[in-house]
Parts: sequence; structure tokens; C-alpha cells
Amino acid sequence: MKKSLLYISLFLILILLPSHIGSPGVTLEGAAGPYNLTVVVNSPDVIPGTASVDIYTTDRGIDSISVKPMYWYAGTKGTPKSDPALPVDGEPGHYKAEVWLMSSGTAGISVNVTGREGKGEILVPVMAVSTAKKEMEASLGWTLAGLGLFLVILMTTIISLSMKDSQRDPGEKPDKKTRRKRWIGALIGMVVLILLLWGGNNWWKSWAKNYSRYMYKPYTATTEIKSSNGIQKLVFNIDSTKLESLYLTRSLNYLVPDHGKIMHMFLLRENKLDVFAHLHPTRLDSSTFETIIPPLPPGNYYVFTDVSRLSGFSETIADTVTIGEASPQLVNSWNDSLLMDVDDTYYITDPYIEDAEKEILPGGDIVICGSPGERTRLPDGSWVTLELPEEKVFRSGQLYDLTIVVDDPDGNPAELEPYLGMMGHAVVFKSDGSVYIHLHPVGSYSTASQQTMLSRFQGESGMVDWDNLPDPVIFMDSVDNYITYLNKLSDEKREEILLADMDHDYDADDPEHEGHSSVSFPYTFPTSGNYRIYVQMKRKGKILNGAFDVVVEE
Amino acid sequence: MDSTTIKAPPEVTVSTKRERQSIPVYAYATVISSISIMIGLVWDISWHTSIGRDGLLSPPHLAIYFGGILAGVFSGIRILKVSFWGNEPDKSKSLKFWGIFYGSLGALFCIWGAFAMLTSAPFDDWWHNTYGLDVTILSPPHTVLLLGMVTIQFGAMVSVLAVNNRARQREDYSQKKTANVLFAISSGFLICMIFTILSEFFGRHDMHKASFYQVASIAFPLLLVAFSRSAPSKWGATQAAFVYTLFMAVMVWILPLFPAEPLLGPVLNPITHYQAFAFPLLLIFPAIAIDLINQRTHGKNNWIKSLFFSFAFILVFFVVQYPFGDFLMSDFARNWFFGTESWYFGSNPDWEYRYSYADYMETKGLDLLIGLLIATGLGFLSSRVGLRWGKWMNNIKR
Repeated sequence: MKKSLLYISLFLILILLPSHIGSPGVTLEGAAGPYNLTVVVNSPDVIPGTASVDIYTTDRGIDSISVKPMYWYAGTKGTPKSDPALPVDGEPGHYKAEVWLMSSGTAGISVNVTGREGKGEILVPVMAVSTAKKEMEASLGWTLAGLGLFLVILMTTIISLSMKDSQRDPGEKPDKKTRRKRWIGALIGMVVLILLLWGGNNWWKSWAKNYSRYMYKPYTATTEIKSSNGIQKLVFNIDSTKLESLYLTRSLNYLVPDHGKIMHMFLLRENKLDVFAHLHPTRLDSSTFETIIPPLPPGNYYVFTDVSRLSGFSETIADTVTIGEASPQLVNSWNDSLLMDVDDTYYITDPYIEDAEKEILPGGDIVICGSPGERTRLPDGSWVTLELPEEKVFRSGQLYDLTIVVDDPDGNPAELEPYLGMMGHAVVFKSDGSVYIHLHPVGSYSTASQQTMLSRFQGESGMVDWDNLPDPVIFMDSVDNYITYLNKLSDEKREEILLADMDHDYDADDPEHEGHSSVSFPYTFPTSGNYRIYVQMKRKGKILNGAFDVVVEE
Repeated sequence: MDSTTIKAPPEVTVSTKRERQSIPVYAYATVISSISIMIGLVWDISWHTSIGRDGLLSPPHLAIYFGGILAGVFSGIRILKVSFWGNEPDKSKSLKFWGIFYGSLGALFCIWGAFAMLTSAPFDDWWHNTYGLDVTILSPPHTVLLLGMVTIQFGAMVSVLAVNNRARQREDYSQKKTANVLFAISSGFLICMIFTILSEFFGRHDMHKASFYQVASIAFPLLLVAFSRSAPSKWGATQAAFVYTLFMAVMVWILPLFPAEPLLGPVLNPITHYQAFAFPLLLIFPAIAIDLINQRTHGKNNWIKSLFFSFAFILVFFVVQYPFGDFLMSDFARNWFFGTESWYFGSNPDWEYRYSYADYMETKGLDLLIGLLIATGLGFLSSRVGLRWGKWMNNIKR
């Protein structure tokens, strides 16, 4: 029963968006050449449609900002000229623009800045797909129905008068035959109009059906837990047979690593939201992924996986899984070194809903869930704080820099190290399951998407040569080999490569660099309600996990 | 079957004969609105293939709205004027409806068209928000708009005819020339409209398909036969086809003179000027044939006439249009006159069939023959309806 409820909650409540769930906007914090910008793109929920782009900057000396959409498959040559982003009155440093997204697929919003310091450009990846199925508002419905009725009555009148009346000589009075013909005309008119309306209605329905068919539909997957030889494996199988469009753009054959991993998987225990695991499954074939999981406390779990592709299309594939009580043998033989990937991590924290049940995870950390503005102790003795906004309260629809400050056990600013090519990771989850998003200090966009698009636009300018894409088997092999190579490197070396990929300005010796005791994640809570934010950082070679419960007001 | 009783014409006195019947202002207004709508529509199509992005108040849209408003307002005023301030002669030439109103059939059509256009606006807006921005000519809200526009054009034609038919009855031919010019324009623009609506079937790449001739046989004999039958002149079909040919060609010549740049991505074909819509079909030739047949078959059975019309239409049209399709694909047509270099900015300009027919674009051999026979059958029915419709138009007096 619980499993089915979990499914219902996943598929009914979730507003599904490709790369994350429930957060319609994409936020990017980065540098366009010499200018630091925060860009928020709200993609249209219907394609073709217009995306709104908000650009925030505190830098001075900017002359103009322009934006344009760049499609992965069309290349730079296929890009129309830029549109200006205009300053918003009364909000210095805020610029606004609209960008038309005409086709489905992976698009990048290119933001170009010109000013005193020269020129700069930054690319925000956007997944352009139709996600909304809209109904007509009652007021418009009634207005149209009224106008429609008027048109039907008037046309019936016209047809009725056309029959004979219109052919009467001037002054000639209508006779019996004319009157009869009027009625015949009205009847014919009615029948014709009803047939027309009926045909129109069917046409409309077929249109809606066709739209639904090509609407973005997330992949579905099945998740299984298999125990053998003292280990517990999770097998994640994606159903790739029901794709109706974007066959190559969304093909699972062309997955590319994001932060050095082919897939990022998050497990969250339903309701209590107290168990969190960030795992990196290994690919068995194009649609099957496998990972070893620790003996997690029993329960129903949400499974969220993030993947990216050669086309830059990134999306979240969600499922649920029930994990049973682990046998004592499994618990006793467990050791964290059994985890499949060097960067896998998991922990348990306070339940979201208070519960007397206490669980001990062998190996896994236990952390105290914090509240914004309060200091919370981390397993290694250091302290973490989620800063409260000036207003002392978080509100939906407002852009925040969610800032996490970490102090060492002595209360001095801690020195954080990069983890998976970033200074921190966060997962925002709404207690009703309607929001799931994986955030980075640079924003909520997929860095792999950005990378693949940038390399595509730098490399060639024309359309994608569909017929000459690399052979899927060879492509998958080379990606898997690269990931294996990365995993074999030392942590330092691996992070160095990943950081270079991310184009991050990490340099601990740079005096201007503000230091790495804090991490901030630009994010806008889409709706009010209760959220849990899981944060992940690294200090002294150890992955640190924290969690915060945040109440977001209207 | 198709029997009609011929009424004795009303007695024409010298005084009524002398009472010069001028063409009312609103008839001119509706003809102008028909032109404005058509210019706006072809311009709008070019806009979409060249620039792509538009707004509610883009210049081509304004031309279309202007046409709708002009026809609606003039017809509305006319109806209100006759209904509430009109004299008996005015009322005697009008149709009474809904108990209090008096209006001509043409004015009623124009008002219906204007309201349909008005209805389509919020409907279309909702449609864009629900299923995406415009990418097609034929969608339900666009069809409402097109129906509105066609009805206005039809209203314009009927208005001119009613005046002319009344004058003819009084043997007053003083306005015949003007009436004929107005009719030629309004009927020609109606052909433009129907061609535009069906243009998805009438592309250069469709000219070797049986379906091209079948769709043409449904649409054009209906119009051409009706115009031939009802025009003030005996060249009703020819003059309408001439107006169509001239207008569509002039749009091909003029639009590419103006700069335009695609504002929507992806741009696969970067262009710098407006892309022309379409060079007109060679309808003028079957139209001449239809007029000639109409002139020579007075008194013949309508079904037999329809058979003649249909055969003539298909034969002449196929003989000229099929090879013309080859010509349009050739180098000789890639110039300002024929405008075949025009290419939607979102289409790949290096497409291998840009200037040639792929196998699947052609109906060949026996299939083509059967297809043309089917087209003749369709043309037969279309001609028969055209004859009846033309007769009706010829008798409109209100």
C-alpha cells in the first residue's frame, strides 16, 4: 500500500521537469568574462514559447547585456541575433529579457555583456520541452462560447435568408414559399454548423492528443534490491522504449559524465526524510545501472537519478524502492570500503517527522538536522550554519543565496575542499515530494550540459551531423573507461581534473579569494511549505553531510 | 431536378430606370477590406518564413485587422442606418431579420466575418499558450480567423453583385463597368484566399502529385465556374484568375525588396530579405477555358456543362502546371520574377531536394492517370455546385 502511495505522490504531485523536479527556473551564478552575474531563466512550459531571463549583477560599468538562444543541434550558425536585456526600473543591476524557444531540445541561453572591462559571455543550459497541459479558464471559456453562439445564430439567420429572401426583387413581399424556404434554410444552416462544430471539436481533440504525445514525459524506471554474498545491490533499470520524440537528444546511448560520474543517484527515505544517500551507480548496459548500497534502515525510499548526454540534455529519472530489514549478517559484515564508488556517501539524520525509532547505521554518520540561523554539529566535530536571510524568513519565488558556513571544532572558519569538482552540493527536497533539486554553488543548471554545449559551439558551427554520431557501443565504452580512469586517481588529482572541467576559480592561495569556509547556492523556492536541504562538503579528505529544515513562507 | 420558374420582370418605368443606382460606399469599403486582408495575410506568411517572431500588433496583423474592422464597421453602420433611420426604398432592398434589423446579405456576411475574426483573437492567444506559438497556417483558431476573412471577402462580392443584379433588372447599365471591376477584384481575392488556405497542398514540390490536382479540382472549378456564371462580364473566371495571378506575382516581386532577418532560432538558412510566399498557379489558362465553355453552352443541361468544365479544367491545368513545376525547379526560375529561391529560415538550405522532385513527391504512371480521373470526378461535382452557386449569386438582389 505504501509503495503505491509513494508512486501516486511521485506521479501526481510532481511537476515534472527534465533536469529536476518542481523547480521551474534555472539559476546560474558565474562570470561572463570580467563580469559576475546571476542569471535566472524561466523556461516556457510549452514549446514553442518564450523564456524569461533575469540577470542580476553588482558589477559597475556595464553598457549593455544581450541574450540569444543557441540550440545544440543547430550550432552557432543557427543562432538568431541577440535581443537586448533591458535594465529594470528602480532595481539597479537587474536586467530582463525574453528569449523565444521555438524547438524542443537542448538549448543554451547565451548572455553577452559589454562594458568598461570589455566583453564577456556565459551560457545557461536550458532543456526546451513542453511540460504543461493547460485547461481553459472559465471566463475565457464562457466568452468564447457566447461569441460562438452569436456566430451560430447569425450564420443560421444568414443561410435562412439566403435561400429565397435574398433573391426577392426590391419591394417584393415574402410569400408562403419564401417562408417555407426560410425554415429549410435555417435547418440546413443548423445542421451544417453543428457538423462544422463537431468536426472542429474532433480536430481540436486530435490536436490536444498529438500535443500530449510529444509532450515531455520523464523516463520511468524499476528499482530492485538484490542481496548476495554479504552485500546488497541496487539495480536501476530505465525503460527507454516509450520515447516519442527527441530520440537522439535523449538517447541513453550517449550519456556523458557529470562531475566525473555517469549517474548521480539520491536515496531519500519517504516521510521521515531521515536517511540520505548520494551514490554513483555503474553502468551495466545502456539502460541498466547497478550500485552496492549499505544496509540502510528499512523503509520506502525515493530514488532520484540525474543523467546528462552528449546533446547536453540532462534530466532526472525518478522511481521508488522498498528496502527491507537487513539481515544481522549483512549489517555485521558491512564496511564503507565496500561501496562501489569512491565518492559514494550516505547518512542518517533526525526524522522530518518526530519518531521514537532510533536507527544505527554501521559506518554511516549520524548528523543533527539544523534550522536556519542555528549552529549544528557535524560528525567530525565541526559546526555548520545555514544563514538566515535579512528578513529572517524564507519566502517562495525569491532568489536567495543559500549560504552554508562551516567552522572547525574550535569555532574558527574551516577550510573546505572540493568534492566532485565543486565546493559543495545541496539537495533541496520538499516534504510532500513535489520538489527535488540538486544544487551547486554555481546554480541549479547541469554543469555537464553546459560543458557539452560549450564544446559543441566551439568545435563546429553547423548542424549536428545526425548520421555520423559516434557508434553507441564505442561511445559508451570510452566514457566508462574514462570514469574508471578517474576513479583510480588520487582524490586530489581527480578533483583537479574535475575542477578544470567546471571552470571554477578555486585557488586557495589567491588572496582575493574569499576563502572556503562557506558555500552558497543560488536558489528560488518555487512554492511555500516545508523543505529539507541536505548539504555535502568535504573537509580534511572526509565528506561532510548536513541537513536543515526550512520553512518557506508565501 | 433543377427546375426554376422564371418570373416576369417587374415593370420598369422610365422614372425608375433613370433613377441612377450608384454603388454604395460600404460596397467599396468591403472590397478595400478584402484587399487589405489579403495583403496582410500574404505579408504575414512571408513574415513568418523570414522573421519568424511576431506580436499581436505586427504590421501584417494590423493590415488584416484593418480589413476586418473596415468591413465590420461599414456594414454595421449600414445595417443600423437602414434599420433605424432608413427610408422605405432602402428597406425594400434589404432583408429583415430578428424582427427589427434591415441589412443586405453582403453586409450580414461582413459582420459575421468581423465577429469571427474578433472571436479568433482570444482563442488564438489561448491556443499559443497551450499548444505553443504559431508554426502552422491551419489550426482551429486560425481556421476561425480564415473563415471570418473568407466570409468578409464573400460579403464584399455579394454586395457588389446585389447592386449590379438590381441595376441589370432595371436595364440600367451605367454602373456595370465599375461593378465588374469591383467584382473582378473581390472574386480574385477570394481565389487568393482559398489558394492561401490550401497552400500546404499547392507547393512547388507538390506539382507532380495527383493530390495537387485533386485538391485543385475541388477548390477551383467551384470558384471559377461560379464567377463565370455570375459576373457582370462574360469573362468572370478569367478576370478573377487574372487578379489572383497579378496579386500573387506582385507580392513575389515586392516583398523580397525589403530587408528582413530571422529573429527566432534555430536559423538554418540565414537570410537578409523577405522570402516570397508563392508564385501563382497558372489558373488563368483553365479559367479562360471555363469562360469559353460557359459562353458556348447556354441552355445546355447543367450536368453536361459540369462535365465539360471539369474535363477542360483538369486537361488545361495539368498540361500547363505539370511542366511548369519542372520549370520552377530549374535554374531559370531562380530569379526575382518567379522567386523560387525563397526558403524558410528554419529549413536546411542544402536539402538535396530543394530544387528537385524526390521519388516520393511524384505520382507516376497508372497511379497518376487514376489520380487525374479521380480529380476529374471531383471537379465534376465541384463544377456542378459552382453552377448552382453562380446562379444563386446571379439572382441576389438584396
